[in-house]
Amino acid sequence: MEKAVTFDPSGLGLPVEIGLIDKELGKLWESSDDTKTRASLINFVIHTGDPSSLKADTEIISTIAAKHACRAILIFSNPSAPAPAAQAWINAHCHQTGKGERQLCSEQITFRLDGESANALPNIVFSHLDTDLPLCLWWQGDLPEPLDETLWSWVDRLIYDSAKWSRPVHQLHLVRHLTVGSGKGTVLCDLNWTRLQPWRYALASLFDHSAAFPKLNQIDSINVELGNGSRISAMLLLGWFASQLNWTAANSGESQSLFRGRQGEGRPLDEFLSPDNRKISFAITESQNQERNAVLIRCGDSEFELSHAANAEFFEARIHIPETIDSRQILPFPRRNTTDTLLAELSRAGRHPLYTKSLEKILPLLRR
Amino acid sequence: MPTEPFQSNPLRDGLNLRSIPDPCSLIIFGASGDLTHRKLVPALYNLAADGALPQAISVVGFARRDKTSEVFRKELGEAVRKFSRQAVNDELWENFSNSITYHRSEFDNPEGYVSLARHLEELDAARGTRGNRLFYLAVAPDQFEVILENLRKSGLNTAAPGSWARVIVEKPFGTDLPSARRLNDLVESAFDESQTYRIDHYLGKETAQNIMVMRFANAIFEAMWNSRYIDHVQITASEPLGVEGRAGYYDKSGALRDMVQNHLLQLLCLTAMEPPAGLDADSIRDEKVKVLRSLRPLAGDEVFRHVVRAQYGAGAVNGKRVAAYRDELNVNPESNTETFVALEVNVDNWRWAGVPFFIRVGKRLPKGGTEIAVQFKSVPPVLFRATGETVDDNVLVIRIQPDEGISLRMCAKMPGSSLRIEPVKMDFHYGTSFGKATPEAYERLLLDAMSGDATLFARRDEVEEAWKFIDLIHEAWRTRSNDLAIYSAGSWGPSEADELIKRHEATWRRL
Repeated sequence: MEKAVTFDPSGLGLPVEIGLIDKELGKLWESSDDTKTRASLINFVIHTGDPSSLKADTEIISTIAAKHACRAILIFSNPSAPAPAAQAWINAHCHQTGKGERQLCSEQITFRLDGESANALPNIVFSHLDTDLPLCLWWQGDLPEPLDETLWSWVDRLIYDSAKWSRPVHQLHLVRHLTVGSGKGTVLCDLNWTRLQPWRYALASLFDHSAAFPKLNQIDSINVELGNGSRISAMLLLGWFASQLNWTAANSGESQSLFRGRQGEGRPLDEFLSPDNRKISFAITESQNQERNAVLIRCGDSEFELSHAANAEFFEARIHIPETIDSRQILPFPRRNTTDTLLAELSRAGRHPLYTKSLEKILPLLRR
Repeated sequence: MPTEPFQSNPLRDGLNLRSIPDPCSLIIFGASGDLTHRKLVPALYNLAADGALPQAISVVGFARRDKTSEVFRKELGEAVRKFSRQAVNDELWENFSNSITYHRSEFDNPEGYVSLARHLEELDAARGTRGNRLFYLAVAPDQFEVILENLRKSGLNTAAPGSWARVIVEKPFGTDLPSARRLNDLVESAFDESQTYRIDHYLGKETAQNIMVMRFANAIFEAMWNSRYIDHVQITASEPLGVEGRAGYYDKSGALRDMVQNHLLQLLCLTAMEPPAGLDADSIRDEKVKVLRSLRPLAGDEVFRHVVRAQYGAGAVNGKRVAAYRDELNVNPESNTETFVALEVNVDNWRWAGVPFFIRVGKRLPKGGTEIAVQFKSVPPVLFRATGETVDDNVLVIRIQPDEGISLRMCAKMPGSSLRIEPVKMDFHYGTSFGKATPEAYERLLLDAMSGDATLFARRDEVEEAWKFIDLIHEAWRTRSNDLAIYSAGSWGPSEADELIKRHEATWRRL
């Protein structure tokens, strides 16, 4: 039986006819006083299939707009609805700027697309974009299939969160297809990867010491302990190690599937091969109620460990190289909610070459 | 097949949009001074908090006062809390401050440098700083000689194979051409040019760096960036402050040496230079030097025609009465030092023939701000003449500080059935367009020096060419003093400055 959809339009602003959106937005500005200036530097589009997220998404847009003036479009699409229908709302998010004498305002247009109207998504999105400004599309949840070539070819930055996907392996393969298909100009922005950024910085810093970086040639094993449901995150970290250190997946296509392995055991799941054909084993331990996330790297007698206790503002870094270094340090761990992660992503221009390379390293290990 | 050993940390590759500098020791001479407390250490903390520094870093304060490393760290902790651009996290400071030590010595004591070398070797072993040394001379220029001489004698100026040694020199780079040459020779006796980083913090400002991007990454501007379309350029640096405890230095220096020789001529160079062959430090600096060499020299009577100097008298700034310059503490009551200078400068090359650059700098002006305003030529007075409407010229303003950004003034028709033309402004603000805080200039410059990127640092020939131009003006000033005008504190300078620009049928911009 179809799940009932609870849709609450309160907080979405003024309901308007779709054909009159531009006119109604114009009226909105005419009625405002001179201290308000409409500004837009990007088109920021959020697509969701979850009606309960609309309020939170509107709050996110409001926060984003304070830092990145934008034309925001929020789309709730419900293709399983029996009858086709399309509705729209408009509102504005204004923020004080400079010394407070002026307000910069961003517009938000919200659409609800039911039934067959959901297929009109590309048309609706493109006809309401601010001309000549980049399009950042945050697609919440699983990507649709088949991929709509027209839609993706217009997207400048596709934002998604691989940690939230219901079928991450399948979806990662789908994403890879985007990088070779018509959307190859599209920058892939995985919030899961952005969230791992502090881990990558901190892990790299463990090997800055002159006695430490030569050990990167001698890594025997990497153990990643993360909270339940974080396997893709762990895999992305491993993919990053593999791409930076030129490892290749051992027995690709033959190895036991990570996503069929049992959880919570920390046993070696698979192996990479170094350029000199040494085996590097890795293991991922997932556990529920994880109080501590950690990455432990062993290189012979030497150990490098980075750990983060739940809610802590710091990483703990431990380096042990016999007779050379035995140190413990703390490193900054910026705590980020979804909005912070999005802001970090939007503030970072350019592509994510390391992400693409890391993906290439782990995809052979991730069988559909 | 055995794997090649790594020469650096491969996990750092591609991690940042810019590379993390090599691990190194930063040795600050003059560690007890204001610059260290207000700028350098807060900048280092912010870099550490942003994850932009390598973990393997040591900061060594070298100064004469007797204190322990612990006391030094405590003092710096207080300064960082006061001057850091971001809120200080205690644990993070604690962690970063572990990299800071204090080394007490007189600057002229050779033993102090021998023990410094030992200390640095210990730090290399303990912290993995790999023998890389960055010496920061945050001291008065009269201390340079003894410090550089001792660095050379102790061998600290040369790095071990595979490591590097660099020196950062703070302005002023001399007080005239001979002293700048002496200073440069002195630095060169210990460090060659490729190891030398002369800091001009204006070049570390985001908007100054953006001048090149704006000019050379936007076809619409570069095509019009010449005497055919540009009427004149105004470069202004104004501040409401007086000498504020710098009287000893300022009274000997004056606005021309303090601001024009370095900061404002650098901004002029970035505005006027040709596209460089590449983005490497020397390609850019080659082009800047060409601009300096193209400056039409101002000498003899030409100086009095093209340069106005003035000093502030008593007045009011921001509603408060302020004293005249000559009544300020530690200022000679008969001082003829200029606190305001306005110049008309010509760049004699093909691009800029006939386009004057008006430079204006002053203290105790009504408002603080630094900007470059490019004033475009008027449209032919044909089409709209009959309407009686005034058509304002286009102005492109690059705001260096505060409220960094760019604005373009153009004309638009006012809505209505009649033809009325009004100026409108397209405005770009760094603060609102990019959702992240602008780093302090010292953060960028320290990071660049650690990374060996000298693009934003002045090269020897740049400094000396700038002095050549400035010295001629000073020579003329020495011949008479009756040209020094007095302006009221809180005004926009003397009327003579207005006359200067009026000859070009222009007026100074109101900031």
